[in-house]
Amino acid sequence: MKVANTKARVVVRRATMRLTNLLVAGFAALFIGGGPVVAAAGEINIYSHRQQFLLQPFLDAFTAETGIKTRVVYASKGLAQRLLAEGEASPADVILTVDIARLSEYADLDLLAPVESPVLASNVPPHLRATDNRWFALSTRARLVATSVDRVAEDAIADIEDLADPEWAGRICTRKGSHVYNRSLMASVIAANGADAAEAWADGMVANFARKPQGNDRAQAKAIFEGQCDVAIMNHYYYGKMLHSDKPEQRDWAESIRLVFTNQDDRGTHVNISGGGMARHSPNPEAARRFLEFLTTPVAQQLYGEVNFEYPVNPSVVPGGVLASWGDFRRDELAIENLATLAPDAQMIIDRVGW
Amino acid sequence: MVATFLSYWSGRPARRFDGWSVAAILICLLILGPILALWLTAFGDSRGLWGHLVSTVLPRYVVNTLLLMLGVGVLTVVFGVSTAWVITRYSFPAKRIFEWLLLLPAAIPAYIIAYTYTDFLEYAGPVQSLLRDMFGWQRPADYWFPEIRSLGGAVLVMASVLYPYIYMVTRIAFRLTPASLFEIALVHDKSQFWSVGLPLARPAITAGLALVLMEVVSDFGTVEYFAVETITLGIFNVWLGMNNIVAAAQISLFGFVFILSLLGLELYARSRQRFAGNGKSAVELQPLVLGLKGQMACQAVCALPLLLGFVVPVGVLLKFVLAAPITDQLGQVIDTVGATMLMAGAAALLIVAVSTLLVLAATYRGGIVVRRLTMAASSGYAIPGTMLAIGVMIFAGVVDRTWGGLVGDPRATLLLGGGGILLTAYLVRFQAVGYGALMSGIRRLPDNMMNASRCLGHGFGPSLKLVILPLLRGSMLAGGLLCFVDIMKELPITLLLRPFDFETLATYTYQFAKDEMLETAALPALMIVVAGLVPVILMNNMLRRAG
Repeated sequence: MKVANTKARVVVRRATMRLTNLLVAGFAALFIGGGPVVAAAGEINIYSHRQQFLLQPFLDAFTAETGIKTRVVYASKGLAQRLLAEGEASPADVILTVDIARLSEYADLDLLAPVESPVLASNVPPHLRATDNRWFALSTRARLVATSVDRVAEDAIADIEDLADPEWAGRICTRKGSHVYNRSLMASVIAANGADAAEAWADGMVANFARKPQGNDRAQAKAIFEGQCDVAIMNHYYYGKMLHSDKPEQRDWAESIRLVFTNQDDRGTHVNISGGGMARHSPNPEAARRFLEFLTTPVAQQLYGEVNFEYPVNPSVVPGGVLASWGDFRRDELAIENLATLAPDAQMIIDRVGW
Repeated sequence: MVATFLSYWSGRPARRFDGWSVAAILICLLILGPILALWLTAFGDSRGLWGHLVSTVLPRYVVNTLLLMLGVGVLTVVFGVSTAWVITRYSFPAKRIFEWLLLLPAAIPAYIIAYTYTDFLEYAGPVQSLLRDMFGWQRPADYWFPEIRSLGGAVLVMASVLYPYIYMVTRIAFRLTPASLFEIALVHDKSQFWSVGLPLARPAITAGLALVLMEVVSDFGTVEYFAVETITLGIFNVWLGMNNIVAAAQISLFGFVFILSLLGLELYARSRQRFAGNGKSAVELQPLVLGLKGQMACQAVCALPLLLGFVVPVGVLLKFVLAAPITDQLGQVIDTVGATMLMAGAAALLIVAVSTLLVLAATYRGGIVVRRLTMAASSGYAIPGTMLAIGVMIFAGVVDRTWGGLVGDPRATLLLGGGGILLTAYLVRFQAVGYGALMSGIRRLPDNMMNASRCLGHGFGPSLKLVILPLLRGSMLAGGLLCFVDIMKELPITLLLRPFDFETLATYTYQFAKDEMLETAALPALMIVVAGLVPVILMNNMLRRAG
């Protein structure tokens, strides 16, 4: 018994030692890995605010077409600070973000390089890129109103401003106001109606909430399906995602709502963008430019629709499939940069009205 | 800060100022560098944002944070202390199994459990569906059901995964209480729990509670998902919503100072917790044997937190994993398990090594400067992960620019972009965990151990090797395992600082969980729990031998 015990101990001790050695080796490898991480010539490094699994189809298509390999770091926040800290030593070539406010944060911190490219200039309309060509929109998403098919009449809501109407008291659901999508929507209302009117509108809408703002946009559709509320604000692509989900309950949620493209008689529906730019210290600017150009080509632009139900920015590309079936609509053509400029004011209003 | 530092510096000269002290001071400065970087950021111009914050959201943030701390604090103490007491004091069927099962929730990240509970308790979830079937309700308006996405929900979710911090330390404390004291209570017809167990375990409970509260204050994932507006959530609104990193740094330091007072609480508690000699000389504590009712009560006490912190969330994850085909995901998940274990292992090893060095230097070599510095180096735990990551980046940027200047290549990096920066950040954040384990270990050693060895003619080094380090092995392993589990589930730092194409289980899970794609996130989330099993079981064996 005692002998067996000792033997077992020796085995455990040996195993522990081996494990320790392995860890020390790995540890050393990690530190050596801290050396130069600049990509080889046929490789670009991407900092992305968009999850890797959504990005992968684009990366695969790009590599197949050009032979240039891609490497990604995905994070939802803080990448601009990372780029800032890295300075000249940064290995990043391309930045991809969702929402204009994030893109312009990079521009404000002087982290993007202007890209002079005839391809980009012709594929991206002027109001969807920076005046100095430091960033470009790559897809657009409409932020609109969803209403219950059963409990709200088809033409009951026409404009986003209608949500402040007391008629909707206790019937509206949204995600938190400080979320970047709502902040941009708020900014668009400020741009259209002025800060005071926008604050009065937000105040009225918050008074109409059926519940404390929570969840993502999909959760709002679910709340309509479950009868917690009748009206919600959401990005259009969530509707497509739910409608074509392999989860039957999500299809139920989508079928319980209808999309209202707001403000068709005046400025048009608020649209936001996903976009990108070249890092200021990109070690591989040539490949970075090719990647950005690739994302605006018809192949990639269609892919935005297929992967995530987003609208193309390239005017020559007609949205296909599901997007086409929803019909065309008037978009708010406010220069997208203004949304970023107004974002801090929007956040202040959101704080004050408690959205 | 600087003033206090100087006063320590000039107040009392160091006892000795040798290689140990120098090494300890250098390491502490390395750890404090990123925190200092955050302080410097906070001294920038916040563009008058405070007036707006104070008049609008800040009071709400503070009140919510305090309520959350209060709720989680009370619930974790109830769970942690009751289970520790029942496990040490009574004998009942399945006790040996409960003993380690109770540690398992420590392996589940709080934000994962938040997702699973939402799935479990929401309108379409199994609980409400069952209730509707039973009572014939049709619509949400037909009945009232508590909202999980609320302050109360956050308290429940956080307490169910954080109570093991208290359970662990309190169990040791109860076990180390001499049996004779309990006998005195018996003789005097007083409650063994209220008059002996609890008062003597108080420093340990306070220490565990401080860790819990620091986790609560720095949590982002859970409060974001439940839309509970705490100070940490406010930091992110200010930073990302108003592009104001300065004000964000200021708020996080406001929280930091707040938590430091808690840390002071812990250190105060520990300073009174001296165990000269050890419990082994006392009469062994015999667990009390109970009747059937008592046994069932004990099992119920243990089963409740286990049910909340492990059975329900893991059940939900298992449901998803079993419902959907996982084969196409499996390869990637297995690769990720390897990367996660390697990273967490390397970082845990580093932290234990550093903690050991610092604790030895503080205890046997350095003077007040070294002691205070090593203590200050444990304060990274109190800063929200993403903010700490930003501090680490700024610090690493300075280091790398200096390095680039030295070698004459502006693109040369030591830390940035590789694994080095991630290890540095883990060290800054989790140093408190390793340091705490080692410090409590060395405190339990009688003071005269080192002196006896030195008197017998061994030098300082050989004495360490022959006497002190073997006695500290248990604490080193305990600290290392705790760090390992913590790092494995760490999200915000890893997400932001990782090298290209590097995923840990936590980041891999997050990209799906972020879009509420729980069915895809379930397998990697479950793997975090599975990978946490081994360290948790090892930890339990250590706890059993402790004392």
